[in-house]
Amino acid sequence: MNNKNPIIVANDLTIAYELHRERKKLVALQDISLEVAPGEFVVLVGPSGCGKTSFINAISGLVPKASGSVTVRGQEVTGPGPDRAMVFQDYALLPWRTVESNVRMPFEFQDLGISDDEKARRVKECLSLVDLTGFEKSFPYELSGGMKQRVGIARALITHPDILLADEPFAAIDAMTREAMQAEMERIVMETGQTCVFITHSIDEAILLGDRVVVISYRPGKVKEIVNVNFPRPRMSNSEVKTSKEYAQLRDHIWNLVKDEASQTNRGE
Amino acid sequence: MVATKNKSLQQFDTDDPDRIQDLGWTFKEVWRRTRGLVVTTLNLITFFILWEVFTIYGDINPLFLPKASDMFAELWVGLTTRAPEGAVFSGSILDHFLHSFNNLMFGLAIACLIGIPGGLLMGGNKYIEAILSPYVWALASLPRIALVPLFILFLGFTTTMQVTIIVISAVFPIMINAWAGVKTTEKSLLAAARVFGANRRQLYVKVVLPYTLPFIISGIQQGIGRGLIGVVIAELFGGSNGLGFLIQRSADTFNTAMTFAVLLLLIVMSLSLINFTRWLEAYVAPWRNVNHL
Repeated sequence: MNNKNPIIVANDLTIAYELHRERKKLVALQDISLEVAPGEFVVLVGPSGCGKTSFINAISGLVPKASGSVTVRGQEVTGPGPDRAMVFQDYALLPWRTVESNVRMPFEFQDLGISDDEKARRVKECLSLVDLTGFEKSFPYELSGGMKQRVGIARALITHPDILLADEPFAAIDAMTREAMQAEMERIVMETGQTCVFITHSIDEAILLGDRVVVISYRPGKVKEIVNVNFPRPRMSNSEVKTSKEYAQLRDHIWNLVKDEASQTNRGE
Repeated sequence: MVATKNKSLQQFDTDDPDRIQDLGWTFKEVWRRTRGLVVTTLNLITFFILWEVFTIYGDINPLFLPKASDMFAELWVGLTTRAPEGAVFSGSILDHFLHSFNNLMFGLAIACLIGIPGGLLMGGNKYIEAILSPYVWALASLPRIALVPLFILFLGFTTTMQVTIIVISAVFPIMINAWAGVKTTEKSLLAAARVFGANRRQLYVKVVLPYTLPFIISGIQQGIGRGLIGVVIAELFGGSNGLGFLIQRSADTFNTAMTFAVLLLLIVMSLSLINFTRWLEAYVAPWRNVNHL
């Protein structure tokens, strides 16, 4: 792993929300420091409400930070940019637009100096990458959950972003489709060489997809441990990975880390 | 809509050519499509025949309940004749219907012109919202009929007064729905648009407005209902025009068949307008899967 020239650097990042109703300030994330190398797949796991989403939103530029810094390629993040794209848990597709029009959306909002021919070519390319060729004119409500999320992934890839952020993208998808989607995600990331920061609640998903798994603690969210995953890719199609002893050990190890934190969630609420 | 669906179905790559079968126009299929209409028509015909039989053999005073056939005759005559030149006031249903209908459309148009931008502004700007919302809620919760004497005082027994009452009746549901539409725009859609580079103007034009459109249409639907109440109330209270006036006039002159004819016409007008907006809502926002009551 090439950690000398990281693409994302979070340095003592703290994010806080003001809860006006309770007149409190909630520290969602405290002093997070993390470096992500180009092409690396980093998975964040941790209990609900631990600030994983806040972290990803800080990278995307959606939430302002309280202190510390996040840089992408050495540039301080001050807002969203075409070098970063996001896949959402609830797909976040515009229901009045066709698949094609949803995928094209990022081009409408920002002028990237891309010709119309190139835009059309990329729409075609991204739709075929997620295996949705033929559904250009369908509307999201006509598609299944898995297909909707594939539209979400195509939309995220259309600008050829350096960094793909994914916030529990497969959480709302049924178990069988989810496995297919994970395999597809792995294939896409291998094909495109995308840097990816991925949130999940599933430890299996974390191990199967991640180069590194970052376990985040509960309130305030801190990096509890970073676990390296060294299985060769592709992992999804390799049945030996899941049945191996290392896999079981890794799974146990991460589960124990998360379990401690999850039990705190119950105590805290 | 159907075209897109069929297209995406055809694009399924399937080895089995019989996977999608054409249902064709079998008797069963024709019946499935038309049974709603057939049942409703038979239902209504039965209703009016029972009414007719009841009034003929039931020894009912036609002053209270006219024969159904008399009502239809009155409706037919009323809709096919116009008032003669120089009449003090018209006895033609068509004249009064056109007056009421034009007022309603004009009033609804003004209500939209005020309500839609008003609601959008209230949803989009918290200062405007804070300033306007007490007045909007105050007027929206006040029974509009209570304002009628005041408007008669201000404007007299005029068409302007009637239209004003329609506007004040219809504007609030439209405004409140547009407001609610903006406020309830899904956060994840806004987040997605922002991540992909939308500025404030683009957020409103490309996300908030399309999201709010079906809300506005259902606001107009409610506005039509309220507006019709406004029409009838305004005409019952004052003026010598409109269906409300005709109801009053025909009842006063013991022409009960005419009263019933006008009521029937009001029902038909109201249902047609509401069904039109329902269709419009389903057409512009098929994803909302509106219940067809």
